[in-house]
Amino acid sequence: MKNPWTNLMTGVVKVKANGKGTERLLNKLMKANVHIWDVKRKDAESIIFTIDYSEVFKLRQAVRKSEYKVSFISGSGGPFFLKRLKKNSGFIVGLLAFLLCIFILSNMVWGIKIYEADPATEHEIRKELDSIGVKVGKIQFFLDSPETIQRKLTESIGRLTYVGVDLKGTIYHLKVVEKKQPEEVIRTGPQHLVAKKKAIITDMLVEKGQAKVNVHDYVTKGQLLVSGIIGREEKPEVVSATGKIMGETWYKATVKMPLKTRFSVYNGDEYSNYYLTGGGFSLPVWGFSNPTYKQFEEETVSRPFHFLQWELPIGFKTKTQRSKEIIVREYTKEQAVVQAKMMAKSDLEKILGEDASIVGEKILHERIENGKIILSIHFQVIENIATGLPIIQGD
Amino acid sequence: MTRTWRQRFKQLVVRTMDLPQDVIMDLPRITMIGQLHIYIENHRGLLAFSETEVRLMLKHGQLLISGSALVIKTILPEEILIEGKIDKVLFINE
Repeated sequence: MKNPWTNLMTGVVKVKANGKGTERLLNKLMKANVHIWDVKRKDAESIIFTIDYSEVFKLRQAVRKSEYKVSFISGSGGPFFLKRLKKNSGFIVGLLAFLLCIFILSNMVWGIKIYEADPATEHEIRKELDSIGVKVGKIQFFLDSPETIQRKLTESIGRLTYVGVDLKGTIYHLKVVEKKQPEEVIRTGPQHLVAKKKAIITDMLVEKGQAKVNVHDYVTKGQLLVSGIIGREEKPEVVSATGKIMGETWYKATVKMPLKTRFSVYNGDEYSNYYLTGGGFSLPVWGFSNPTYKQFEEETVSRPFHFLQWELPIGFKTKTQRSKEIIVREYTKEQAVVQAKMMAKSDLEKILGEDASIVGEKILHERIENGKIILSIHFQVIENIATGLPIIQGD
Repeated sequence: MTRTWRQRFKQLVVRTMDLPQDVIMDLPRITMIGQLHIYIENHRGLLAFSETEVRLMLKHGQLLISGSALVIKTILPEEILIEGKIDKVLFINE
């Protein structure tokens, strides 16, 4: 006997046979090795039985040239199910459309949340995100990766020390750390002003306290500039000395500048291949050729598809090759000196305070060694040399 | 005469070799489960079928099954399974 499950797979047909002596029809089918089941008598001249869909042709053969009338009542199982499915294909289309909708919606950006930022910074971040295309309603694959967004944000918004960009599902979470603007240190305690380093005083502006030095004086490190003790000697008064003492100070810098430098730069040529990935395979969907760059850098970004909160085993991969070129920059000696000076100056400016200015420079020594020019430069700088020194009372 | 000789020989074989009789002698093997099912092997075709009566051809004679609400569950060249309420199983010898 056959398994009814396999019968259902291939399909079964319910048949009604009409005619005199339907038993003979059954015998005939039996002889032809047709599997028959569920035989019922309907009335004196007709019976109902079930056969396999694949054996209908045998039934036709048996019925041909006989007085029986055979009609099919209904079919069930595989082929009939498919036929019905075709008829009701709207359902299938609807189901697929629904899945597609959910799929697309699960891969969209649904929100951008910014934490720990004040309103101005938040506004700026949102504007910047807008300009790089991160907006609510965008599809995630066409956006930069969180790392790139993070880099771009920190680069373009100076106020940010750090932005942690995290993509959780469909929502970008941005954790912001703002640069704290240095607060004005208000010293209320009594203090003297002393020299930070040796200098020649060029300008003095004493707000409080008693100046102990004059313009054009040479001072050494730690020397008292403005005293916080004022008044007559018998009855001294202690105040917090404040003021700006500008002095000329000296810096010596040594810079090395190679005459010949090799740079590798992108020349702007790039080519991207896009792939659909799944289970270790990647199927190219766009960009089928392989560029023939002599030197290039390859960047591969792959991101998985999502369905609701699940990550699907398939994904989207972008492989970008950027062409590189080696550029050799060569300076003459004069050019190298100029460049080296500029470099030294900008290095110096970084360590100097805001109110400092470089007023003069002098090349002390220059020599060329191993294709590099080595310069010793002397800088004259005007800067505030005053620094507070608390007065310890009690003696 | 020959038929009886063959019959006798078969009887002998069955008795001496202790084989089941239906195998050698083309007899129907009938299995019944209460009144619900009747399973007949070695039949020779269906003669009449209705809700109250099923008539089967055997090698010798016929088998009449009468009852109510009879349905042929399966029918194969040599086997038949009938379901329903079986009241009577009757051998008819010509």
